[in-house]
Amino acid sequence: MIGFRQSPWILHYDASSCNGCDIEVLACLTPLYDVERFGVINTGNPKHADIFLVTGAVNEQSKAVIRNIYHQLPEPKVVVAVGICAGSGGIFRECYNICGGVDSVIPVDVYVPGCAARPEAIIDGVVKALAVLEEKQKAMVAMANSIDKTLILRADKSDAPEILALQKVAYQSEAEIYGDDSLPALQQTLEELEEDFTHMPYRTNTLAVSRENSDPPEVNLNRIVFLKAVVNGKIIGSIRGYTVDGTAYISRLIVHPYFRGRGIGRRLLQEIEKAFPHAKRFEAYTGHKSKRNLEQLSRLGYQTFKTEVFNPIITWVYLQKSRNGEHPGTNGKPQPVVAALGSPANQ
Amino acid sequence: MSPWLRLLLYLVAAPIIGGLLAGFDRRLSARMQARQGPPLLQPFYDVIKLWQKENIVVRRSQNFYILFFLLLVIFTGALFFAGSDLLLVIFALTLAAIFFVLGAYKASSPYSFLGAERELLQMMAYEPMVLLTAIGMYMVTKSFHVHEIASHPSLLIFALPGLFLGFLYTLEIKFRKSPFDLSCSHHAHQELVRGITTEFSGRALAMIEIAHWYENVFLLGWVYLFFGSMPALGVAVSLAVFLFVILADNVFARLKWQAVLKSAWLVAVILGFGNIVVLSLFR
Repeated sequence: MIGFRQSPWILHYDASSCNGCDIEVLACLTPLYDVERFGVINTGNPKHADIFLVTGAVNEQSKAVIRNIYHQLPEPKVVVAVGICAGSGGIFRECYNICGGVDSVIPVDVYVPGCAARPEAIIDGVVKALAVLEEKQKAMVAMANSIDKTLILRADKSDAPEILALQKVAYQSEAEIYGDDSLPALQQTLEELEEDFTHMPYRTNTLAVSRENSDPPEVNLNRIVFLKAVVNGKIIGSIRGYTVDGTAYISRLIVHPYFRGRGIGRRLLQEIEKAFPHAKRFEAYTGHKSKRNLEQLSRLGYQTFKTEVFNPIITWVYLQKSRNGEHPGTNGKPQPVVAALGSPANQ
Repeated sequence: MSPWLRLLLYLVAAPIIGGLLAGFDRRLSARMQARQGPPLLQPFYDVIKLWQKENIVVRRSQNFYILFFLLLVIFTGALFFAGSDLLLVIFALTLAAIFFVLGAYKASSPYSFLGAERELLQMMAYEPMVLLTAIGMYMVTKSFHVHEIASHPSLLIFALPGLFLGFLYTLEIKFRKSPFDLSCSHHAHQELVRGITTEFSGRALAMIEIAHWYENVFLLGWVYLFFGSMPALGVAVSLAVFLFVILADNVFARLKWQAVLKSAWLVAVILGFGNIVVLSLFR
């Protein structure tokens, strides 16, 4: 397959290098080594890059940056850790601010040893990375063809950055509908999303129990279900659910724009309903102009029971359905469900 | 040659020629910097790779604009090579560029935003000169139609030397070469990341690249018009102009946008308008 082998575009990031390896990376571009012979371009833009070249050990400040850049690289992508510091932390390993090599933050495909890594070694590493890149490209094509093999799995805290990146991408279509970027899902920070794994989201204003509290209460983790849809190791969709008194509150159904209209959202909704075996009633909400979401939910048996003005632009529409398909009362109040539930582990 | 045949030839051959020219450009630039440079087919490898990459978007509609940018650039060249009205060609070209700018605006990132603004400034800089070139050609040949201009018996360059030089100046802007590569440099690492193309990846970026190939062939076709009565000379000068543009790219540093705008309009007034005034006085 021509293409990937002949045209690797590189993004170079200095995590906290002493600049020794950085200079050697740049030396590769000079007339003596001229990596452009192999079609290499040193781009400054993650969205154009194929290979993410990181030098230096990762410190607490560059951690978030590396993660952010990594998720901005379009698939297929390869990470090359250049120099011993990027590999393991090197002589800085024990420093108070160092979290280790690049692989402590993102998956690394190729390690180039050396202090500083020599240009020949870096070029060799890039060439090795090309083989990995090609493999990943094949895997990606397979992924596009195996969308029906999507796995729905439980997400955990380590998925938070990827899910946040996905959420920001997925909610862009909503932002466009309302012409407004102030949607809570778009404003969410990584810390807040990580909290969603352990806390009731107090921003979900249907959750009466937590509305009065300024701090979101930490709850029994069995009450929270956080699902992800995974194809060949990449998260393409996600959904969150919380159960209180027999009602499961479902929120943040997100699917990558590329994979929409292929039943991923429906599967996520169905799976999360299964994940709350004791819930008698399910509740979800969406913006009043989000036609796709409303249609999706009504196809699965959800019915609107109340609306609430969130801000001048968005009005939340609340939908509900009961377990056996009958619709609970639509008098605007959640029905009291007797807590005749099993052990908390199943709740 | 019938217009339909020319049109078909353009649609098929332009991306091939444009891609080869881009590869030649990169190789020659590398040689000027004492490097070996990439293979001649490198631009094709790049586009094939980009086509298979994931398409990350900020807003989905941004790629829609890029599709129209590509289609309109092809349309512009198609009008030109089918021998249509030169004014219509210019308007189609402007519309294409506007779609590109809209796409970059839609991405709403500060880098592509600033790149889009600079692109608009560049358009302001080159549009007057391009229009004056069309007017000058009309004054000599009494027609705005490309096929009539191309088949005019005299060499247009003798009547329009000022316009030719002025057009050369605008070509530097259109080819996105130094000293006028404000909105998006071909060379990586600039202050705007990648300027107007920053937020485009995968297929959208490939489409932008292909659009540039079509555009470059169309612009060199326009250079040919100045030498319409001697085809061999016309092709030779077109290629020489391309070499000159590469040389200038490697020799000059980038100008500020104020300097670009002022100098381009100065060139348009002195070389372009001056040429037209002289032409109308001595006829």
